[in-house]
Amino acid sequence: MYTLTIEPLGEEVAVEEGQTILDACLRAGVWLPHACGHGLCGTCKVDVIDGEVDHRDASLFALLDVEREEGKTLACCATLDSDVEIEADVDEEPDAERHPVRDFTGTVTRLADLTPDIKGVWLAVAAVDGDGDGDGPLAFQAGQYVNVTVPGVDGPRAFSIANPPSQGDGAEIELHIRLVPGGRATTWIHENLAEGDTLAFSGPYGRFFVRASAPEPVIFLAGGSGLSSPKAMVLDLLARGDTRPITLIHGARGPKDLYFKDLFEDLEKEHENFSYLPVLSELPEGAAWDGETGFVHEALQRRFDGVFEGHKAYLCGPPPMVNACITTLMRGRLFEKHIFTEQFLTAADAEPKSRSPLFKRI
Amino acid sequence: MAKKKKMGLKQKYALLTRGLDWETTYQPMDKVFPYDKFEGIKIKDWDAWEDPFRLTMDAYWKFQAEKERKLYAVIDSFSQNNGHLGLTDARYLSAVKLFLTGVSPLEYMAHRQFAHLGRHLRGAGPRVAAQMQSLDELRHAQTQIHTISHYNRYFDGFHDWQHMHDRVWYLSVPKSFFDDAASAGPFEFLTSISFSFEYVLTNLLFVPFMSGAAYNGDLATVTFGFSAQSDESRHMTLGLEVIKFMLEQDEGNVPIVQRWIDKWFWRGYRLLSLVGMMMDYMLPKKIMSWQEAWEMYFEEQGGALFEDLARYGIRPPKYHDVASKEKDRISHEVWAIFYQYTHAAGFHTWDVDEAHKAWLSEKYPNTFDKLYRPRLEMWKGMADAGNRFYNNALPQLCTTCQIPMGFTEPDDPSTICFRSSEYGGDTYHFCSDGCKDIFDHEPEKYVQSWLPVHQIYQGNCGGASVEDVLKWYHLNLGTDNMAYEGSPEQKLWSQWMAGRHPVAAE
Repeated sequence: MYTLTIEPLGEEVAVEEGQTILDACLRAGVWLPHACGHGLCGTCKVDVIDGEVDHRDASLFALLDVEREEGKTLACCATLDSDVEIEADVDEEPDAERHPVRDFTGTVTRLADLTPDIKGVWLAVAAVDGDGDGDGPLAFQAGQYVNVTVPGVDGPRAFSIANPPSQGDGAEIELHIRLVPGGRATTWIHENLAEGDTLAFSGPYGRFFVRASAPEPVIFLAGGSGLSSPKAMVLDLLARGDTRPITLIHGARGPKDLYFKDLFEDLEKEHENFSYLPVLSELPEGAAWDGETGFVHEALQRRFDGVFEGHKAYLCGPPPMVNACITTLMRGRLFEKHIFTEQFLTAADAEPKSRSPLFKRI
Repeated sequence: MAKKKKMGLKQKYALLTRGLDWETTYQPMDKVFPYDKFEGIKIKDWDAWEDPFRLTMDAYWKFQAEKERKLYAVIDSFSQNNGHLGLTDARYLSAVKLFLTGVSPLEYMAHRQFAHLGRHLRGAGPRVAAQMQSLDELRHAQTQIHTISHYNRYFDGFHDWQHMHDRVWYLSVPKSFFDDAASAGPFEFLTSISFSFEYVLTNLLFVPFMSGAAYNGDLATVTFGFSAQSDESRHMTLGLEVIKFMLEQDEGNVPIVQRWIDKWFWRGYRLLSLVGMMMDYMLPKKIMSWQEAWEMYFEEQGGALFEDLARYGIRPPKYHDVASKEKDRISHEVWAIFYQYTHAAGFHTWDVDEAHKAWLSEKYPNTFDKLYRPRLEMWKGMADAGNRFYNNALPQLCTTCQIPMGFTEPDDPSTICFRSSEYGGDTYHFCSDGCKDIFDHEPEKYVQSWLPVHQIYQGNCGGASVEDVLKWYHLNLGTDNMAYEGSPEQKLWSQWMAGRHPVAAE
């Protein structure tokens, strides 16, 4: 067991033999930038200021020889050979809550078909008591996600928590699981999962949360089952009595793919500062729909007349929707500093692709 | 769990720049900083500058000092061990001569211009960034001068590089490029050098040149190259940051920045045609063709950049499609220019041998055999008959890029591309629509260009004969210039190589 010090935060974390820096940090509630999780993308590069690390499986391209000599390492691969001090590119975010990652089991209390291909799963949460300090409910921040282990499927799958912490106090979480065509994990959940079953998961993960201390009005942009974390964030803000203007635009294909419409319409009536704008992209012939049609970024453009300066925007949904919305926001003068997206990067996403370094987070 | 926090880079940096941007009271700010508004770039909040360097002075000195120690150790050992004998061939030196005499003075100019920016930008972040880059550029100039110094002991053409830079016709291409940037306002300078050159086009200059050096046994160049490259990532980041800063600060900046990107893409691309020639013709051991480099570094990497920039309303640079149409031509066209005018150059050209022609044919299947091989073979025939071709007429130069008018129509590689504009009763000539557009937007600036051929005709370059002009250039006639075949450099190199072979043969 070694001690890891993380600058500039000054935090100290205990690291097991063979445990990676990233794993130890996340489990201690200290967030470090990371993406692929296995040494390919270089997002988690940190400076080793003191002590010895083993670079393990870090790719020679993600961590060049000269960088190794300069004392850099990849947190997702590196293990410790002594007490170590690192410096990471983390800003202290005043609105980020720190909740250590722990292991849990969830018992299915309710299942509901929210749309033809999105299943709502409600889990009663019990901490797995590993070393005596893991008791208690899941503490998390609205917008975060959990990694669920699906029986018979290698590797966990990430799902955002769709309820705010105030609903259920961490004893119950709600997940929205879209059936991915050919996806083994989601197929199993849609076809086999039953009430009373248990699922193992760990969490909370992610840095997708509302920068509530910043005063700007907020825009939530959600596509399909990407409604989950914006739903938690909207409910959380309203539950806290936040009075700034809050807009939620939710895109779906047809009327049958729209869910929680009644909930948001009721909230709109109850809260003067909240507005809800569902938008449908594939309206069937003769459908009874007098709302917005088109894509999320088109509805966004119309609602704000293409001017977004002075807002903060939170995006969650399929990559084409997120990209189109970012372009619309930037054309309307809202830039990277004010745009936040949820990114579940899996091993498949870390394939090196031609991307310019113009943007860091979006 | 928590002990006393150390300062993060951001905090240290904030302390380093704290208060450097105080509001002046004895004199109005606009008089203290007279240059950062006239270009029309509007800055609402200088503090929004996200400094990409975030490097404190102590860290800068420590890191750079270590690099200098390593670099000079390598250069010294290269020198003491006669490292030049390990080169693949003395012809490789022509590429080195062109690079070192063309680029080293630009590094020094960059040092001066960044120092100027370090004084004249009113934001503290960009001012500190410019000051550090100014120091980097001075170091780059110095390391290159050390390399020139080593090669000057054994090879021709290096002896008076600073003097030549101000006079020699082809060195006016890089010189006028940089003078154009340095005589612009601070934001255009940053767009031209930090963004267009050091970010968008830098890989086309440095990667081929450094790999070329490595492949051809030039350890001295490789070392200053890598040392410079490690600063380059910082400089590139500065280029990206300045573009983002301008685009985010005010919508009105977008069209101004677009025009600069258009202009400096084309200026840089024309300058790099010299690099294309070095890659395809001057390296005894080849690395990749100009076309391959263009596809990899501009079409792919640049394409990804401009996809991201589209979010700001920026489109790819005007005439990038023309540059792509020319990718299997320009290196051959530029080589043809230098082959014909080798008698007036400070380096050598030569008749391309069969293996080299086969390589060119393989790399340029659509153009080489059809368009360029016949010309090379004709010239080889003339040389074999004792009549090596030198063009004794002075070429017409493009008023903007100052390269002789040897480029062809975008859609017809067999017709020279001529464009012209009238201004103030005179006619000005251009090699391309790109160069003509640049002139047409700022004719008052470019009518002042010092065009070497015009200057010769006006009697400002030492005399009326080629010999007079070359003397005025400080070229050593019969040594620095003319074909490689029969040059003193070739003889010397053959002797050195012959001196080694008997040992190997026994």
